[in-house]
Order: sequence, then C-alpha cells, then structure tokens
Amino acid sequence: MSEEIRRLSDVLVRDPASRAFVPLADALRRAGDLATAERIAVRGLERHPYDADAHDTLARIHADRGDLDRAADEWSMALRLDPRLTSAQKGLGFIDYRRGMLESAERWLGAAAEHDDDPSIARALATISRARATVNGANGHRDEGAPRPPVDTDTVTGSVTDVAAVNVAAPSPVAIPVVASPPAVPDAPSVAPVGAGAQARQLFAPLMGNEALTALLLDSDGLVLAGAYVDGDGRDIAEEVGAELAGVSDEAARSMRHLGLGAWTSLQVEADAAIVAMTPAPHGALLLVAAARETPVGLVRVILGRALAVAREWLARFA
Amino acid sequence: MNAAPWLATLTALSRHRGVLGTLLVSERDGLAVESMVQIGVNAETVAALAASLHRKARLASAAAGYGGVHFVRLDAERGHVLAAGRDDLLFVVISESRANTGLLRVELIRAAAGLA
Repeated sequence: MSEEIRRLSDVLVRDPASRAFVPLADALRRAGDLATAERIAVRGLERHPYDADAHDTLARIHADRGDLDRAADEWSMALRLDPRLTSAQKGLGFIDYRRGMLESAERWLGAAAEHDDDPSIARALATISRARATVNGANGHRDEGAPRPPVDTDTVTGSVTDVAAVNVAAPSPVAIPVVASPPAVPDAPSVAPVGAGAQARQLFAPLMGNEALTALLLDSDGLVLAGAYVDGDGRDIAEEVGAELAGVSDEAARSMRHLGLGAWTSLQVEADAAIVAMTPAPHGALLLVAAARETPVGLVRVILGRALAVAREWLARFA
Repeated sequence: MNAAPWLATLTALSRHRGVLGTLLVSERDGLAVESMVQIGVNAETVAALAASLHRKARLASAAAGYGGVHFVRLDAERGHVLAAGRDDLLFVVISESRANTGLLRVELIRAAAGLA
C-alpha cells in the first residue's frame, strides 16, 4: 500500500464524512485497485451526492474498466453539478471520440479549452479536426451521420483517464477505422442470419393477443433488436420510441448503484396515453413493453415477464 | 402552501409495511422539501435520484408522445422506489421488497392529485 493511500485511509477512518474519499479513490484507481476504488467512491457519494469531483473520480474508474456508458453517465452528472469542470468535458469529449462522434467530441474539448489552457487540449482538437477531414473525405458527408467506428481499445493509445487528465494520447487519424457496417455493440448480438429481420419484428406478436400492446428489444444504444412499434398511421416508429425511452433505463441503473437496493429489475412509467414497462435483458439489452393507458397495470407486468423469457431464448440463439 | 397536509401524507405513507422513507421532492432541483426517513437512509441522495429519474421519464414520455407522467415505479433486487407528482413536486417512497406496492401506488397517486 502506498504512503498516500495509507494516509488518506487514515483520514477517512478518523472522519468518515471527510472528502478524503475522493483523492483516496483516485489513488486506488491509479494503483490499479479498481474494485476498492469504486467501493470507496460510491460510499463517499452516498454522503456527498453533489460532489462533482467525486462523480469525476467515479467516471475515471469506470473509464479505466472500459465501461464508457457508466463513465459518460458520471461525467454528465459531474457537469450538471459543476458546468465548468474541464476534466468532465474532456472525458466526455474522449468518449464521444471513441464512439466516432467527432463533432460532439470537438464541442466538448472546445468547451474545455475555454477554461483550460493545457496545450494537449489543442493537440487533441487538431487531431480530431484531421480525423473529421479524413472521415468526411472517405464518406462524402458529415461525420455525425456516418457509421460509428467500433469501440475498440486497440485503435486508441492511452486511456480515457489519461485524456481526462489532459495527457491526451490522442490517436492519429489513421487509427480511426471508417467502417461501412453497423456499429459493434459490445456483448450484444450484432449479427443475425439473413432473412431474420421479419422474424425479429414479429418476435413478440404471439404474446400480444388482442391487447393494445407492443414490445421492443433494444440494444445498449437504444437500437431495435426485435419487435415493432406501429403508430396509428401504420408507420413503424420503433427506432424513435426506443431511442427516447432507453435513456430512462440508464437513469434507473444509476439510481440503484447509489441507493444500495441491488440491481434494478424493472421500471414502470404510467403516462397520459400509455403504460411503459421495461426490464434489463441479457447482453446489456433492454426489453420494453408499452400498452394503452386503460390496460391493467398488472397485465403489463405479466406480459413483460413473458416477453423477457422469449427475448432470453432469442438472444441465446444469436449470442 | 401549508406544510401540514404534506406531513400528514408522508406520515401515512411511512406507516406502511417495509417503507424505509417518504419524501416530498422538488423535481426541478432534486432537493427534499420534507422527508421522513429511517436511520441509514440518506434523504438527500434519495431525493436527488428520484427527481432525476422522474425528470428523465417525463421527458422521454413526452418525446415518445405518451404525454405527462403520473407514476414511476423502479423495482430492484432488495426494494422499490415509487414516485408520483404534479408540476414540480413529487411524493417519493423508498421501500423494502416486502412492501405492498399496489397499495402504496394508489395512495401515492391520490396524494399527488392533492398537490394541485
């Protein structure tokens, strides 16, 4: 155990309400003990939920683990608490860069540069500018509409944390793969057999009966894996609805991490026009069932359970 | 607004089996206006997270064309978070798994209607 960790641990033992948990968690992270670092950070946040630096530290821990979704979540929270926290802006910039969202990455780093004259930010911005030029040249259009490069740590040198600390080990433009295929979703099935599309859209149809119900299986980005959602005009709006509602599950997961009630198992939202229930599915997917407002709430939950069993079986075939 | 009706509602909700805490929360800033929580439950944390969850659900519901949100229920391995509100104010309950969530839902929706 390093002297710094020992000293900060002593401070925290003497005063559990101390903010020493922030540098302690960061020191543990830098020492590579990510599990203990996370435990210290989460416990500290239970006492100091509005501490932007603590959220920033927890984001770095998640980033070091390669969990970019959680890292982005914590950096977003840090920025809500302190909109000028440059480390969070840089972290989000790097994550967007990793996700191929170059324009957004440029915006975050540009915002960081307004309050931080670290020259490595300027170098990172120059790198992104070159990368955007490369992508635009390859695709003939702007990057935000371009296919995303897969999240592959081998394409990037340096960790997210390094970037957040402004040791921007930014990759060269050639390190950004420009792919024509859909984005890879870690741990989620991304390839289905040819002709499986229609079957996927009808996956939950047998469960729906005559009720005004619909079910969607979404991947971790809110993209539709299976199911359909047809509006009154006969248009399939599954992608739009999935994208809007998937973010709620991220919020549920975040809440549970802080409340100590274990992992979330389901979320139910009763709105003017619909009842929406969702539950986590294997491989980071999300299952969502929506029903007309007059549908009994208990029935919606039963359908959700049955749809989850169908989704598990279907995912097992493609995983 | 007189705080007494809120306290009566929070007290009534907190008497249910398995309830760990009841709060009246401002959704806008995530702060507890009033709370009755058991020792060990951090009211500030519950208020901030419940408000954030409700806000996200409300925005997503509106964006998906479902309209306003009346009730949100989050189930976890060892408990539940329930919220119902009107305008900026939310009644929030955090409970253990053994709580009667059906009854709590009815009372929360009724209490939220009284926030007008």
